[in-house]
Amino acid sequence: MQTRLAAFLHDAAVLHTFADFIEEYCKEQARSQRYVDASGDFFRYSESVAHQIKLKIGNDVDRAQSFPPAIALSRIDTLRRNALTFKGYLRLLHTLIKPAADAHTLSIPAPLVKLACEHLKQIEGMDGSKVVVLLTPQLMYFQRPHSHVKQQAAIVGRLIPQAEKFPARLGFIELPYSQGPGFFTNLAIYHEMGHFVYEELSSSPSPSAGIRALQRATHKSVTEFVKLERKPQVRKLAEKILDSWTQEIFCDLLALYLVGPAFSFALVEIFALLGSLSRGKRTTFSQEHPAPACRFAEHLRFLRDASTWWTAIAHIEPQQKKLLAEFATIPRERYRVDGDDAPKALIDPFLDSIIPRIRELVREIAPDPKLAAARFDKTLVTIEDCLSVGVVPHSSTGSPPEPVSIINSAFCFYLTSLPDMVGRFEEGPGASANAEKRSKWTRKLEDWTMKAIEDSQVRTQFERMERDGPQQGRNS
Amino acid sequence: MVLNREEILERMRRPASDRLGLVITPLLRQKESDVFDADSVDLRLGCYFLLPKTLDQPFFSPDKTSATSLHVRVHVPLGEFLVVPAHQTILGATLEFIKLPSDVSGEVLTKSSVARTFIVVETAPWIHPQYRGCLTLEIANVSNTPVLLYPGRFICQLILMHTADSPEEKPDPSYFGPVYPEAPKFRDPQDDLLKIGVTKVSRLKKTRVNWKNGKWVESQSEVDKW
Repeated sequence: MQTRLAAFLHDAAVLHTFADFIEEYCKEQARSQRYVDASGDFFRYSESVAHQIKLKIGNDVDRAQSFPPAIALSRIDTLRRNALTFKGYLRLLHTLIKPAADAHTLSIPAPLVKLACEHLKQIEGMDGSKVVVLLTPQLMYFQRPHSHVKQQAAIVGRLIPQAEKFPARLGFIELPYSQGPGFFTNLAIYHEMGHFVYEELSSSPSPSAGIRALQRATHKSVTEFVKLERKPQVRKLAEKILDSWTQEIFCDLLALYLVGPAFSFALVEIFALLGSLSRGKRTTFSQEHPAPACRFAEHLRFLRDASTWWTAIAHIEPQQKKLLAEFATIPRERYRVDGDDAPKALIDPFLDSIIPRIRELVREIAPDPKLAAARFDKTLVTIEDCLSVGVVPHSSTGSPPEPVSIINSAFCFYLTSLPDMVGRFEEGPGASANAEKRSKWTRKLEDWTMKAIEDSQVRTQFERMERDGPQQGRNS
Repeated sequence: MVLNREEILERMRRPASDRLGLVITPLLRQKESDVFDADSVDLRLGCYFLLPKTLDQPFFSPDKTSATSLHVRVHVPLGEFLVVPAHQTILGATLEFIKLPSDVSGEVLTKSSVARTFIVVETAPWIHPQYRGCLTLEIANVSNTPVLLYPGRFICQLILMHTADSPEEKPDPSYFGPVYPEAPKFRDPQDDLLKIGVTKVSRLKKTRVNWKNGKWVESQSEVDKW
């Protein structure tokens, strides 16, 4: 028994040191940097749960030394198992805390993240949601699934009833650290936010009609696929593939509903950076993602048929628009699956049965995109006028432009008028073709766009105060 | 002649691309007198600051490296404050982004109420026609006590004056359109001085002495830079 007790005391000390580090590290973040609200909440939660674990461990150490010999062995084993649970949970938080600490407000597009969170709250069933931004060393945007963290938090909560509850509806989105302070490519966070929404909606104890219809369509497609393949063991794989494809299209469509064609343009930029637009890759599905051609065909269908965006941007001709149109004309017969070709049989049911259900689901939960397109149409000229002379977008006479109009106008300006602007402000022949100068002016354009979004947020807060009087505890 | 409120407002109603147009955005006001005096506009403190770093050298040399080595950038959201210690200096910026017309110069002055707390906001207050950007403010606390600064509060006033209209010129792109406070941009001193024919320029260099063969020997190659 002495050996087992000694081992427990050793484990407890190690765990205490670990929890102490987490607590102090999280406390330090509040003192040293500024974070978006959700990150602040997450640090406070992590600090508090680490503190409670330390108290619990201290208490368990005292108990372990006073158990009567007859029951000591089994009780100490229980305490060791609990300690392992705490360690596992802190390990999970540990992987999130550092990338969240790296993502302070100066290293991420904070006004865009704030705007995206405001948009997130407008989605049906997502009221009160918040997103923690993480910086990742990978050149890719991700959503870190949060259900597992919540489950582990619930287990720890059962062992330590007085521990703070894991913040409700808290999602985690990862940005590549090299793209952190930029603006245009970071519109991809809208897609990642979609994964968070999907995870929340599909894990709800009472799923909506849209989710149930989607689940039925997926189940039918999987069953037919399994029959066709005559291998029952492929069911799990087929479910996984279809779920991944479904999420990708769901997230793209949700992003388009919220932020319009600027999201498509951003995705083209990211795919180009990753080399995913080559002839071979554009028609290739992986087990995780539908082919870029399939995704962009869906973008075009939304922009042209399900909203008025295509009309609103009719007179703007960036290459990206042509690319969307070109991808949309690629016939589905040319779609293939990377590696193993068996999942190719899933493509047709995915396109014919599942995607229509995804469209219905997104339409059910997202705000009507027509209003945003109409506002964009009204303010495009004013915003372009500002940017063309190096001024933060604003209105000198009418009401100030809305953030979605600012984002789309600025993106269109970037894609079509950047060389003219560089030529206007830089000396020397060939300045507009100079990569360094273009890059410098792109950054300025992104700064002005971000400042316009920030100004719009400050103005909204001011107007709300003018209209309703000061609101309790509300701050930018 | 100083522009009065009516002319300032008239200039602000013009489109951004009008070269005689004036931009000050966002201008948060319930009534005009909240931000306009008869002949000036009050500007607010923005949320970004450059705080001086502890240098890894015993002096500050205004040269190419100063833009990145002198300061650390911080963000203080609305509702929070920044403490400026006694006798310390920081760089801030106005919340408002400004574009001056081609026939107007500007001057930034510390608001008198702020000046009476011994916070001095500008030592290089002149703004040229056609300037655009958030104004970088050199903020010095010359009092004997730390002072709290709240982003979003009024800090300075902008006076606008007529000048002869000048033709549209390409602006200096290095200071064009900033939305954050900007660190100074210098060339190396020898490059500036060469332009006026100075071909010998003194520099300070860190050296190290090594104990070799019973005596101290100076070695520059080991420590090329500060």
